[in-house]
Amino acid sequence: MPMQSWNVGIDVGGTFTDIAAVNLSDGRMEVLKLPSTPASPDAAMLEGVARLAARIGISPADFIRFAHGTTVATNALIQERGARLALVTTQGFRDVLEIGRQVRPHMFDFHTDAPRPLVPQERRFELRERLLADGSVHVPLDEDEIARIVDAVAASGADACVVCLLHAYRNPDHERRIGAALRSRLPDLFLSLSHEVHPEFREFERFSTTAINGFVQPEMARYLARLERGLADLGCRAKIGINQSSGGLMPLSRAAQLPVRTALSGPAAGIVGVLETLGDASGGDFITLDMGGTSADVSLVRGFTPAFTYEREIEGRPVKLASVDINAVGAGGGSVAWLDTDGLMKVGPQSAGAVPGPACYRKGGDQPTVSDANLALGRLSPSLLDGAMELDVAAAERVIAAIADPLGLTAQETALGIVEIVNATMVGAIRQISVERGLDPSGFDLVAFGGAGPLHGAEVARALGIARVIIPARPGLLCAEGLLNAPLREDYVQALGVSLDPRGMAALGDAAAELMARARAWFESEGESAAGSAGLGVDLRFVGQNYELRLPLPEDATEDSLRAAFVARHAEMYGHADAHAPIEIVALRAEAVMPLPRAAEAAARAVSGPPVPTGTRDVTYGPEGPLTAQVFRRDGLSAGHRFAGPAIVEQVDSTIVIGPRDIAHADGRGNLIIELTHD
Amino acid sequence: MTDLSADETRMSATEGPQGDSTGERAALSPIRLQLLQNALTSITDEMFSALTRTAFSGNIKERRDHSTAIIDIEGNLVAQASQSLPIHLSGLIGLVGAIRAAHPLETIRPGDMFIANDPHEGGGSHLPDINTAEPVFIGGTLVCFVCTIAHHSDIGGARAGSMASGLTEIWQEGIRIPLIKLYSAGRRIDDIWNMILLNMRMREERLGDFNAQFAASRLGLRRMEELSARVDAPTLRAAFAGILDATERRMRSAIAAIPDGTYSFEDVMDGDGLEVFDIPIRVTMTVAGDAIAMDFAGTGAQVPGNINLVFNGLQSTVSFALKVLLDPRAPNNSGLLRPVTITAPEGSVVNAVAPAAVAHRVQTGMRVVDVIFGALAAVLPRAVTAASNGSNTSAMFYGRNPRTGREYVYFETLGGGSGARLGRDGKDGVQAGLTNTSNLPVEAIEAEYPLLVEGYNLIEGSGGAGRTRGGRGIARAIRPLGHVTEFSGSGERFRVAPWGLEGGAPGRTGQFSLRRDGAEAPEALPEKASRVTIGPDAVLVIETPGGGGWGDPAGRKIGDA
Repeated sequence: MPMQSWNVGIDVGGTFTDIAAVNLSDGRMEVLKLPSTPASPDAAMLEGVARLAARIGISPADFIRFAHGTTVATNALIQERGARLALVTTQGFRDVLEIGRQVRPHMFDFHTDAPRPLVPQERRFELRERLLADGSVHVPLDEDEIARIVDAVAASGADACVVCLLHAYRNPDHERRIGAALRSRLPDLFLSLSHEVHPEFREFERFSTTAINGFVQPEMARYLARLERGLADLGCRAKIGINQSSGGLMPLSRAAQLPVRTALSGPAAGIVGVLETLGDASGGDFITLDMGGTSADVSLVRGFTPAFTYEREIEGRPVKLASVDINAVGAGGGSVAWLDTDGLMKVGPQSAGAVPGPACYRKGGDQPTVSDANLALGRLSPSLLDGAMELDVAAAERVIAAIADPLGLTAQETALGIVEIVNATMVGAIRQISVERGLDPSGFDLVAFGGAGPLHGAEVARALGIARVIIPARPGLLCAEGLLNAPLREDYVQALGVSLDPRGMAALGDAAAELMARARAWFESEGESAAGSAGLGVDLRFVGQNYELRLPLPEDATEDSLRAAFVARHAEMYGHADAHAPIEIVALRAEAVMPLPRAAEAAARAVSGPPVPTGTRDVTYGPEGPLTAQVFRRDGLSAGHRFAGPAIVEQVDSTIVIGPRDIAHADGRGNLIIELTHD
Repeated sequence: MTDLSADETRMSATEGPQGDSTGERAALSPIRLQLLQNALTSITDEMFSALTRTAFSGNIKERRDHSTAIIDIEGNLVAQASQSLPIHLSGLIGLVGAIRAAHPLETIRPGDMFIANDPHEGGGSHLPDINTAEPVFIGGTLVCFVCTIAHHSDIGGARAGSMASGLTEIWQEGIRIPLIKLYSAGRRIDDIWNMILLNMRMREERLGDFNAQFAASRLGLRRMEELSARVDAPTLRAAFAGILDATERRMRSAIAAIPDGTYSFEDVMDGDGLEVFDIPIRVTMTVAGDAIAMDFAGTGAQVPGNINLVFNGLQSTVSFALKVLLDPRAPNNSGLLRPVTITAPEGSVVNAVAPAAVAHRVQTGMRVVDVIFGALAAVLPRAVTAASNGSNTSAMFYGRNPRTGREYVYFETLGGGSGARLGRDGKDGVQAGLTNTSNLPVEAIEAEYPLLVEGYNLIEGSGGAGRTRGGRGIARAIRPLGHVTEFSGSGERFRVAPWGLEGGAPGRTGQFSLRRDGAEAPEALPEKASRVTIGPDAVLVIETPGGGGWGDPAGRKIGDA
């Protein structure tokens, strides 16, 4: 057999490990879904890689590139299984991680606490040194003090250490010196310096991001080493890229150094997958709805560019690194419907999860869930995963009847109500990222994926005035698919804190040259291609403000053009701006992106007219009762097929619901596009 | 709006199995009601975020000192934005009552807008909070008002900022606006508008914040009109009633679980900011079935200093405390207070009358929360906490930056320890009670002001000892660099310590002190310190109170932390 070249994307979730592989020469794609092995996630992956290679009929050595989305860091943090961590910080600031922003997590609930600091008090060491906000030295750091602290860290038995000094984002010298001393004395210690992890001001957020990095570092390093070895044992020498929260890949060595960058990477792969598979199905402005078993993630994309944020938290702990901006709500297939003490029905945020799961899953669940309602309404297919999973319709109807009685409603009204309420939760989440930011969602398409997104997409879109819903070809495997084509990405930032004036512009120019040089050095070190490109962005604010706005920094930017752009953006965001107020340049950022070799496009066979249904079934859409819907198989749809609702499309990883007056058609990339009829 | 179109039918009061076309109280199904409640709350949330986004002042934009709401024509609060401040409930409770007293409903026209701020005459709770209300007409019928509250950083009066201690009459605190009509049928009444603006400092910022309030109000109006395309006026009114009934039910079911009986508690405040003296705050609660009668007889008379609470403020404080204890996830609406009867002696510090000064009413509100917790501690041990730092410790530094030559004002409120809980220590270094504002990062302070923060840490041993200990207070030490600054501060529980429960020790009191380089001991400052001069050879140390402990310290076990 001739040598082949395949790219592999592997997304490890809590329940399933999804693998997608594409042949770079002809675009042929193969996918595999297998149960995850949470105790040792690499086990399922390695098994899957071997099985997939065997199924394709190639050697694992033919996998030349390996892109991996992992939740190892996230899980270590959520389960608080991490390093025995030490902290070295400026004298007087031992408790920054514990005080945080001094707010309680919930205004009215006095019994919900902020998460415990990742470093206990006995392993926080105060260093006698002090820098000022301009980076100048107020109290010098002397060698005796370094030796004292290194001894203390050594004696603490820590296996990882974070160094977080005040104003280190402005002057990293003290952090570097103590870091070098720790490294030479304790070579096995995992070490994170705050100016390397997140070189920006606001101490709590920087310390928190750095502490998370240190906390998950040993676990992640062990995992990645095991993975690399396991692949080598299979004869696979693929270059490994690890997915970041920003939606790009980083090399293995970088991931071992900065594992915090993977902490929010789960949803990012899905968005990249959407961008890859959509093609010209959308004009580029769309809202994504990724609905799974326990929650729904929504995000907004304009001009094929996802929104980014630097303001995320994991379980109440801030992580200030670039991540795709996702709004997550507790609305999933497993969300439980319950009767509250006020006599009204609520749905979620509690979820029946994977165990016991919805009542219809036959795993002991006895509370009505969204999936039970979908099944009772005929929307969800009674047989999932190509018949591998038979659902219990009677159980679903039984648990719904049990809540319908005290409500004084029929089972059908209750099931419809469950779906309406969970849809309202998702509609609210989408309004928050559109209407509340001054954008009308009716100008966007809705791209629905995840196991449950295609069941709810059309109704959610209708409530928002959206005209088109797009369901990608493999809505349950989109993350693995996204990884296949994700670029390498590196984010750089330099704190500035200078005025927008001629001197500040000079500092900005120097910083820009510096960051671009770093990006170029990185492109060269990867040696991949000359196709790398870097974009600059600048964070500005009016002097005295406590929040920044991010603007692109074009090469020909001048003081006047930056001022004009900032004033315009401020006015757009906040409704006002003082054109003459002094402006501060807070930070400069560079996003360097290096696309990887891509597969050729597989050619689609075009047909026309309606596809052949596999049958019909009764589906309840509204209070008027069941309608007879045609049922299609997704793999029976080809480009050009067009049909009208009421209809159901079944596929291995999802079920698509098409409303009574809606029209669906398939495009050449395997997307199903539903045109909605509005009143 | 949102979800309501999903069934593609226009909702009307006649729908549903118990349909009743006769009007006001037509039954809506528990699902319709939940959907409408979500829709109304999301309108107030959207108004809230619009107000945050477009405001000028940091007080609204960053501290989020504002609220938005929908109030029905009887004056019931139907929906309030999720992030609204608890104390703002007071301004909302009084608002529509004040409208009806001055403007009969039949005289109100589309495009009218009312504003007020006066706690004694306009339904407000202190002057900086300006309340607006705009009528919503559906099919020609007045169905409700959309309302906003924003704390303006200056409302005139004797001192800039309108929040200075030491004032004794409401007239000194700023411009008093009774309930007045600012817009008539869509047209602003400029005579009034100009007079109001002339009485406030920082005109540009005031204009910006007012415009943000007006924009949020108009947005609420538009969203209500969109909702009315799917829900008619009788259905909406039925939904308002149904929502309040539902919230009342959840409160009653929680109250019914409290054993019947009479519970009382008393605490005293440090002083009124002018003088140090005991100000008793006393509550006697009678729980009978699913109702509570709460009486504040025995509470001290209103005081000359500006910590007086008017009755609306007392109601919102009680509403907050009961929601915290009984049902933290309950919606914010008037149904919360329906099972509760509140009485307080007229002219007391919790039911103050004109011309009482009220700017720092929250200090008293904090203590009201503590005494309600104390009274119910024996019967709701899992819900209450021991006394918390009970204070809104504030610190202000005023000086001239030697680098720029410009004046600066650095203002901050600090959290402290909250009270210990049954089986769990109190929270360390957080905002307690009625407020939940965040701190300013040290790196931001030092970049902006000529100040050096020499330490910012939790105070060891400040949480009251106990089987579970109280939360620890915060210490922050600040030194002016290269200039002389002027410090003013305000604290509570600097003299009367936060109490423990079941034998737990009290938390440590707070204090302001000055540590001069080379001096033997720090120099204590008063708890309402005014204009203390500090040079670069001294450090001002703010120490906030710790929370009270719970249970005998001897019984503490390893797992109790």
